[in-house]
Amino acid sequence: MRSSVHRSQQVGVKPQWMRPACWALLLLISVLGMPYLDAIFRWVEPNARQVIYSRAEFYTLLGRHVFVVGVAAIVTISLGVLAGIAVTRQWGRDFLPLVGQVASLGQTFPPVAVLALAVPVLGFGTLPIIVALLLYGLLPIVRNTLAGLKDVDASIKQAALAMGMTPWQVLRRVELPLATPVILAGVRTSVTINIATAALGATVGASNLGDPIIAGIVNGNMAYVLQGALLIALLALAVDSLFDALQQRLDLRLSSS
Amino acid sequence: MLAASWLLSPVSVAPNRIVAGESYGLVAAIGWPGGLLVTLLFLAIGGLAIAPSRTHYYAQLGIVTLALLLMPFGLMVAGHWLIAADLPQARLGIGAAYWTVLFLLMLCLVELRLRLGLSRLWTTLLLGIVVGAWLVCASQWLENLALVQEFQARDQQFYRALVQHIALVSTAVSVSVVAGLILAMLMRRYRRLQKVSFALLNFLQTIPSLALFGLLLAPLAWLAANVPLLAEMGVSGIGTTPALIALIAYSLLPMVRNTYIALEEVSPDTLEAAKAMGMRASQRFWQVRFPLALPILLEGVRITTVQAIGLTAVAALIGAGGLGTFIFQGLGQAAMDMVLLGALPILVLALIVDASLGALADVLRPGGH
Repeated sequence: MRSSVHRSQQVGVKPQWMRPACWALLLLISVLGMPYLDAIFRWVEPNARQVIYSRAEFYTLLGRHVFVVGVAAIVTISLGVLAGIAVTRQWGRDFLPLVGQVASLGQTFPPVAVLALAVPVLGFGTLPIIVALLLYGLLPIVRNTLAGLKDVDASIKQAALAMGMTPWQVLRRVELPLATPVILAGVRTSVTINIATAALGATVGASNLGDPIIAGIVNGNMAYVLQGALLIALLALAVDSLFDALQQRLDLRLSSS
Repeated sequence: MLAASWLLSPVSVAPNRIVAGESYGLVAAIGWPGGLLVTLLFLAIGGLAIAPSRTHYYAQLGIVTLALLLMPFGLMVAGHWLIAADLPQARLGIGAAYWTVLFLLMLCLVELRLRLGLSRLWTTLLLGIVVGAWLVCASQWLENLALVQEFQARDQQFYRALVQHIALVSTAVSVSVVAGLILAMLMRRYRRLQKVSFALLNFLQTIPSLALFGLLLAPLAWLAANVPLLAEMGVSGIGTTPALIALIAYSLLPMVRNTYIALEEVSPDTLEAAKAMGMRASQRFWQVRFPLALPILLEGVRITTVQAIGLTAVAALIGAGGLGTFIFQGLGQAAMDMVLLGALPILVLALIVDASLGALADVLRPGGH
């Protein structure tokens, strides 16, 4: 880990964006090229009538998948970080154990059960899966926001206050920048988990990359399952490496300044 | 002062509607006296929260418990009121507000326990009484509740699914505990293995559980068809075998990670002291390193088990049985009460395991109590 950081420092800023770009390109190629891979999937499933999932275009499914995960991520990040900031202020300290409890409770609830419980209230479709992802993704973000803000040295905060900064300025210009790497690590965990979990949405009628998987299991067609799994794994790897690059960039900036 | 204002805000929203069946308001469901009682109870909790003190907390604890105990009675009254006697098929559904109130009351209970520093035993006892009262109510007087009807229609099936679920989870977890321990010990010896296996296990986690279940169908079906010995052992494309393999695969990462960290984190000073006392290597491992690592190791078991409980529900899709069967059957028939019948026990199971393994880890922590 340390050696790779060191190397990228020597080479410069550019190479760290290569890996996410590669994964994204691979994802793009496989989404657009899937219909032409008939021969390969025919080999997996020689007897099936059809080997390429065709009820919806792959790029539509990918778009919906990204949309669901993205919406969930935006809401979780804003909720989690705001809650984390609120309970580390003087006036919100009393809520700290409660927020921690609620966040870890969210991870204890199995997403399938949340999904199933959300359907009677919210109906079939995209909304229940977003709720399930929200609950499931909250813990890593809240936990890391709390850890990140707590790790900021008290003397640095004192110094900032002594320089005449208002508490709001201290938060915005000292605490948050210092805590960002840790918060970002939490966001990374949360989003990566949710990309895989979002596939469950297909069981309640939210059409996304889980669709081919469900269709494949129901019809006993391995080729469909493979296509769905391949695309989700590629998406997860692309996003994960993007976060990795972001983290490295942040490290560089923090260590150089 | 601000300390407990959280107790106020949620309940002031909550008491105005307990939905029953086709969305009846609180008043329509349990009448004016009932509505008044609910409002009064919640106001009392809020009022006590304004001036926090130990006695007030105890009073709140009493009120919250009372409210929890009264909840099924609210349903009974509603059932009596709203369901005409000449409609024996009518059933009572539980609405969103009811769940919200229940959830918030539970949250109050957790918060009060933390503030009062009560031991787990007391909370368990309290919850035990509440749950017991609910079960009695459900079995005796709530036969027009949809959930109860759903349960009575297939109680045999339910128990079988529950046992199956627990069996799947415990098999998967125990296998991965043993495998995780062995793997972590090997990793400590061969550093190269550590990198490879962490990379592999991390990659496994990016494959959605749904897909892994699906992907195992074909190779196992092929094996069962071509190797008669395996087929005799019960290996087949659908059902328990692929579910178990996938469950174990997913359980390994949290297990191995925590075991490895737990074993690595034991302070070298302690080990040095043990060595100086003349302990042999195996003694040092089993009498010093392992007991000290146990709490973190148990944390891994807890995470793994909770995760496996949820994943086993997904395994129902490939015919492994378990409580997930009800969820997916219910979703298929748009029978939401059947979905509840599957989802609620899974939730409760996860919470019980979470709480009890957490308690066990607390007890085993050195210097803990």
